[in-house]
Amino acid sequence: MEGLLAQLIVMGIKILVILAVVLGLGAYLTLVERKVAAHIQRRPGPMVVGWHGLLQPLADGLKLITKEDIFPRSGNRFLYNLALVLALVPAVLVFAVVPFGPEFEVFGLKVKPILTDVNVGLLLVFALGSMTVYAIALAGWASNSKYALIGSMRKAGIIVSYEVVITFAVMGPIILAGTLSTYEIVQNQIEQKLWYIWLQPIAFVIYLFALLAETGRVPFDIQEAEAELVTGFTVEYGGIKFGLFPLVEWYVEVLSLSAIGVVLFLGGWSPINIPFVGFVDPLFFLGSLSPFVWFVLKVGLLFLFVLWLHWTLPRYRIDQITETAWKVMLPLTFVNLVLTAIIAPIVWR
Amino acid sequence: MPWAKEEDFIELKKRFPSLEIEVKPTITNLHIPKDQLIELLRTLKEEKGYKLFIDHSVVDFPEKSPRFQAFYILYNVDERKRVVVKTWTDGTLPSVEKLWFAGKWAERECYDMFGIMYEGHENLVRAFMWETYQYHPLRKDFPLEGYANEYLPSLNEVLWGDNLQGLMNYDRMHTPVPTLEDLEITQKRRLKKKAQLVLNWGPLHPGTHGTMWFLFDLEGERVVQCDVILGQLHRGVEKLAENEMYNQFLVYTDRMDYISALCSNQAWVVAVERLLGIEDLVPEKAKYIRTMMSELQRINSHLLWLGTYALDIGALTIFLYAFKEREKLMDIIEGITGARLTISYPRIGGVRMDLPEGALEVIKAFVKRFPKELKDWETILSRNRIWLRRNVGVGVIDKEDVYFYGLTGAVARGSGIPYDIRKFEPYDAYPWVEFDIPVGENGDVYDRYLVRLEEMRQSLKIIEQCVRKLESMPKSAPFFAESPDPKKLKLSLDGIGLKVPEGEIYSSGENPRGELGFYIYSTGGVKPYRVKIRPGSMYNLCVYPKLMKDRVIADAVAVLASLDPVVGEIDR
Amino acid sequence: MIKKVFEKPLSWLERIFFIDFIKGLSVTIRHAFSKTITTHYPYEKLTPPKRFRGFFGHKVVDGREPQPAFDEWVERFKIDVQPGKSRCVVCMLCKRACPVPQLFEIEGEKLPNGRRRVNIFNMNMMLCTFCGFCVDACPVDCLFQSDIHETASYTRKDAVLDLKTLERIGRDWQKRREQEPDRIWIDDQQRMRLWYENDLKLSEVKKR
Repeated sequence: MEGLLAQLIVMGIKILVILAVVLGLGAYLTLVERKVAAHIQRRPGPMVVGWHGLLQPLADGLKLITKEDIFPRSGNRFLYNLALVLALVPAVLVFAVVPFGPEFEVFGLKVKPILTDVNVGLLLVFALGSMTVYAIALAGWASNSKYALIGSMRKAGIIVSYEVVITFAVMGPIILAGTLSTYEIVQNQIEQKLWYIWLQPIAFVIYLFALLAETGRVPFDIQEAEAELVTGFTVEYGGIKFGLFPLVEWYVEVLSLSAIGVVLFLGGWSPINIPFVGFVDPLFFLGSLSPFVWFVLKVGLLFLFVLWLHWTLPRYRIDQITETAWKVMLPLTFVNLVLTAIIAPIVWR
Repeated sequence: MPWAKEEDFIELKKRFPSLEIEVKPTITNLHIPKDQLIELLRTLKEEKGYKLFIDHSVVDFPEKSPRFQAFYILYNVDERKRVVVKTWTDGTLPSVEKLWFAGKWAERECYDMFGIMYEGHENLVRAFMWETYQYHPLRKDFPLEGYANEYLPSLNEVLWGDNLQGLMNYDRMHTPVPTLEDLEITQKRRLKKKAQLVLNWGPLHPGTHGTMWFLFDLEGERVVQCDVILGQLHRGVEKLAENEMYNQFLVYTDRMDYISALCSNQAWVVAVERLLGIEDLVPEKAKYIRTMMSELQRINSHLLWLGTYALDIGALTIFLYAFKEREKLMDIIEGITGARLTISYPRIGGVRMDLPEGALEVIKAFVKRFPKELKDWETILSRNRIWLRRNVGVGVIDKEDVYFYGLTGAVARGSGIPYDIRKFEPYDAYPWVEFDIPVGENGDVYDRYLVRLEEMRQSLKIIEQCVRKLESMPKSAPFFAESPDPKKLKLSLDGIGLKVPEGEIYSSGENPRGELGFYIYSTGGVKPYRVKIRPGSMYNLCVYPKLMKDRVIADAVAVLASLDPVVGEIDR
Repeated sequence: MIKKVFEKPLSWLERIFFIDFIKGLSVTIRHAFSKTITTHYPYEKLTPPKRFRGFFGHKVVDGREPQPAFDEWVERFKIDVQPGKSRCVVCMLCKRACPVPQLFEIEGEKLPNGRRRVNIFNMNMMLCTFCGFCVDACPVDCLFQSDIHETASYTRKDAVLDLKTLERIGRDWQKRREQEPDRIWIDDQQRMRLWYENDLKLSEVKKR
């Protein structure tokens, strides 16, 4: 009985922490993006609200909440609201299977910093990712507008193609690790003293491109192409509903997918790795807090890299995006699978 | 002056006995009666080589009968000669649509402004006004203020109860304003729907460069047919020109192509100077200053083009890098002339003021650093595989299309025809500076992009030469012309009392966007009788429906940005 | 004279290793660590140059009029000259030079001592094109353009400048900026934020 109560309390704390971190961090990431973009463009970015703009997300959130909530005259109200829920919930649920660090002890309890360590964690991630297609298609349909429809059909096409690509791309690390549970994959990388990126560079690059396509970032953001479609399928949404779509798409999903990327390819919470030899930890002075810091650092670096790409590259055309997915990336993943199958025994030992 | 000589047309007199050849120092006219007009035009186009369509419009003489004098301006690119074909009509004309597509748009404009009906025209709709507008504004019996029929008081009166009576020039009655039904009728008349869905792209849209209204007939994502509705920015500049003195009209030329205002000013000033015959009186310093400012403005305009083009395709930082350099240029222009956008710095006979101190140092500092910035941006864009995939092979214009659609400027040069007015009919200091003309090969969007980038570098070359020459001139050199006979020809900075003798002229200048031409018809006096402005952007835009056939919507942005239209010039 | 433009297509090595992306990214990251160039309006402002064409003003009589032109025009129109008041001689040349003459409303009045003086001089800024022809036309250097450009207001009446406003702007300009040399700009420190990378060295401001 006591064990059950303790476990429920621990789970409750974990849920609260994840929700707060994800949603709060998501809002603050808008500020990070604006600052990074601004400095790349030789200007300071938001500077007025708070010191160097630190309170800007609060101001933005307040503004969006108090705006008028318009609804197109002949739209479908139920689907209109449902689309928003269908977009937000799966994106946040992915964080349920992301491991933040190794198992640690507090008050005599062994606690794993992961919400649920199911043994099919990765399968859950991709299943949830596919739900976003519903959100987009419903949003475009329920808005009853030509621009929204074209935008949502484009986006749905892209997501469907890149779901296949991403699933095949991650099969490499899964074969090398031998398990689908995210916690076990990181543990295997630490035991084998190897980040899988050294053995799977092709898969990593493809995973990165698929991440950009799924979340609608340049060079695959044909959906938000301002010059053509003026924010695509969110064109009939107003107020906070309009604010939530980019928040979910651009920030929460990028965070979750880059966290999965770090888990799969970059060794989760392990410090710097020299392949087949061992680990070097320049942050050893932080003691037991060091793995968490490494995880956050790696996810942050990947996110900054995604931002850097966003503000440099132009965007592809819609038929070129799907063409690249089916004709170039998918065959490369097959090649990668074959190579992995050949060299896997070295790693399994 | 590249006007055709009389001996070129002697043999045509055998086939067309009623042809009259009139050669004046400023223009060459061929007069022909209306029934043989199409024959003469076809002979000139196919046998004599006058393939490039420059312009077509009408001059209204209400006391004469027949009332309208129509003129067609044609150009021979290989021999570099120009000719004007004129005819008299009472209200109908045969259509030249089969000979030049650009004529179709020019004829729509004449129908709109003068009420001339064209036989054989495929879809004679109004070019600028909405379909249910009742008047024809450029006729001489239409008053300058229009017919104020609608009651439209100021919001200060309606909401706040201010009494604005007695405040200067305020009137509660207003000229006709279109309603939503008028716009829907215009849209239905313009495009007959053939495929799945008609998408309205514009008139208020961040992707169209200004208020242009495109109609796409879509089948899924593919465009089946496309058409353009213009006129959202029509301000009636040609009607206003008949009421302004020659110097005062300078202000309106700024506001047409507002991005390259100095080049438009220079084109107008050179046109009037040629009509007066005082080109040699303009002092050398003024010519060098005008050339240098024009080239600075050319770089400015191409930077704006590059920024918005990259923004539309998705590379968002290039927009801000281009605007950083543009800020520097605007600082220079503001320090020399006093304004950033609507400049009015050249005057008929010179420039308004001499250069201030420090101007040449600043220009030299800018010119030294700019090639490095250009190289930076080219590393981001030119060989990027995404950029290449978006641009190569899209929007191909071949050489025959250039003649058929009347294309000029960088669009013509991207397709391999070295058409540059600065070399064909030099004005100001262009005969004395050395520069190259960049020419492309394939005529796709990528070639036009490369051509414009190279033009920026050539402009830098011209500016360096002008700066060196201006540094060597003494500080007291004159910047405004001295009139040889102040009683007959009064030249002053403010232009009051400048009388222009009877005559007509067509003269053009090389805007960054194409050829901006002015056809001035003067009957003596201080105000012109008719001014027809030949906008480069409008004839560049008329190739757009052909380029968009069977393409995806995503290409619409790339193609439109490469044609570089400015609505102020198209709609005037 | 004619220069052909073309660009080499991408080689296989560049395609596999994304060298075109890497070069572009290196340019962007270099810019990300450079100084910012913007001026934080309205906390920091740039001073417009001397030739800036903003709102209009009338210069007042203070002994610095252009002679002999001023005396000639005063004699011609029998003007009553008062120090501290506008130099206008009611010649109407500005109205003749303007592209939109309806914006000027000029009236002179006859004084009891037989001389004339300008009484009403209204300029409607909503019709003005700010071209400067009137400034060029004024023979006594009275009408000029100042650097006032932040002129947003809520009513139409604020857009009409009457004689008192014009004289006020003129007095303020003569005190503040008339002695400036005719230099391309005067606030070198502020402009260096944008121009620092061009190594610009302007000569010192010579005080007159």
